[in-house]
Amino acid sequence: MDSDVKIIAFCCNWCSYAAADLAGISRIQYPCSVRIIRVMCSGMVHPDMILHALNQGADGVMLIGCHLGECHYQDGNYKALARMEILEEILADLGYQKEQLQTTWLSANEPNMLVDAVYDMNERLLELKGTVGK
Amino acid sequence: MAVRVAEEWLHSCSGCEIAILNIGEPLVELLSKLEFVHIPVLMDNKYFGQLGDKEHLEIPEADVGIVSGGCANEEHKEILEEMRKKCKILIALGTCATHGGLPALINSWGTEAAFDEAFSTTTTDEGAQVPTQGVPKPLDRVYALDEIVDIDLLVPGCPPNPAHIAGAITALLEGKEVQLPTKSVCDTCPTIRKGKGDIKEVKRFTTNAAFDPEKGVEEMQCLLEQGFMCMGPVTAAGCAKRGAPSCISARVPCRGCYGPVLNKGNQMLDMMNALASNGIDFTSVVDRKNLLRFSGAHNKLR
Repeated sequence: MDSDVKIIAFCCNWCSYAAADLAGISRIQYPCSVRIIRVMCSGMVHPDMILHALNQGADGVMLIGCHLGECHYQDGNYKALARMEILEEILADLGYQKEQLQTTWLSANEPNMLVDAVYDMNERLLELKGTVGK
Repeated sequence: MAVRVAEEWLHSCSGCEIAILNIGEPLVELLSKLEFVHIPVLMDNKYFGQLGDKEHLEIPEADVGIVSGGCANEEHKEILEEMRKKCKILIALGTCATHGGLPALINSWGTEAAFDEAFSTTTTDEGAQVPTQGVPKPLDRVYALDEIVDIDLLVPGCPPNPAHIAGAITALLEGKEVQLPTKSVCDTCPTIRKGKGDIKEVKRFTTNAAFDPEKGVEEMQCLLEQGFMCMGPVTAAGCAKRGAPSCISARVPCRGCYGPVLNKGNQMLDMMNALASNGIDFTSVVDRKNLLRFSGAHNKLR
């Protein structure tokens, strides 16, 4: 194990989980720090769930959904976006840093984007852990 | 045999004790089954023996302990720990005891910074010092009771609903499970909701809500839909004494005094989320930390 950070990634069933699936089938390497939780839509991820993940010891949380405007449920990811904007704003009040959150939009045929996002998040968290000494 | 009850007040205003008195007529019947062995608000009972001859703080043994108020200094902590030791069942009464309440607002600055602000002046006068002798040492912040000791029953409310106190005591006497409301204020609110409104930002409560004083509250439009910051969605129900939630029946928005709906919930986060998922601009909330005005303990306000 090269990594001692933990990332919880909420992936929507229709795009990002399919992209993660494709990444696996295509044998693209990605950091083993990520734990994917499949949800039906990014819009169903309540901030309490993200906070719960952080409170339980996750170093970072990713919310990955369909491209804006391409939600399977029409406007779920816009709701997710509004929620994440608020969370980013509030996170400092709750004792976390906004770097511990990431929102990514991608479609089912963009596994590379997903993997890149996970690498990004992983790097950032390792850096954060190193400098903050958490 | 009468059930022995010990009651204590810590960082509180005695509103919870008045709520006990407000049980009204059922209290007369209840009192015949209860024996208060310790209740400083009503009855003299010295902590260190009636002659002051004991070395350690002592509270008589009791079957049921009721504690109101949060825990803000060493004395509160000592009393609370003694209560836990001597009482078989410990009840936290009121929002201060369950979630910190208003005194926990100090947590957003920390005790020290707040004392500096409160007790020293910006004029040329030398500011007063916080005494270190003769008064209990303040803790670093205000704690809810369940952060310090195990609590068997949480009865929130500012003040708690007398009916719930009576219900809880009666249930305990009969050996039944205590039933407290589990829904939110909105779930018990009779105002008219039309579904998603056109509100894009929340107003401060500097103008009155639109309503017809001739008509009942059930014919008023939901205050949140009118654009006011009503904390009904994220606040536990229970304040309703005559049908509608108390503040709503006075035509003002809910302030959140019963604490979060779920015990571990965060009123600020949940309220901001409720606004966001209804398309309301969250930057229009000028003082969001204030949404934790009643539930700032448990490290929520910092």
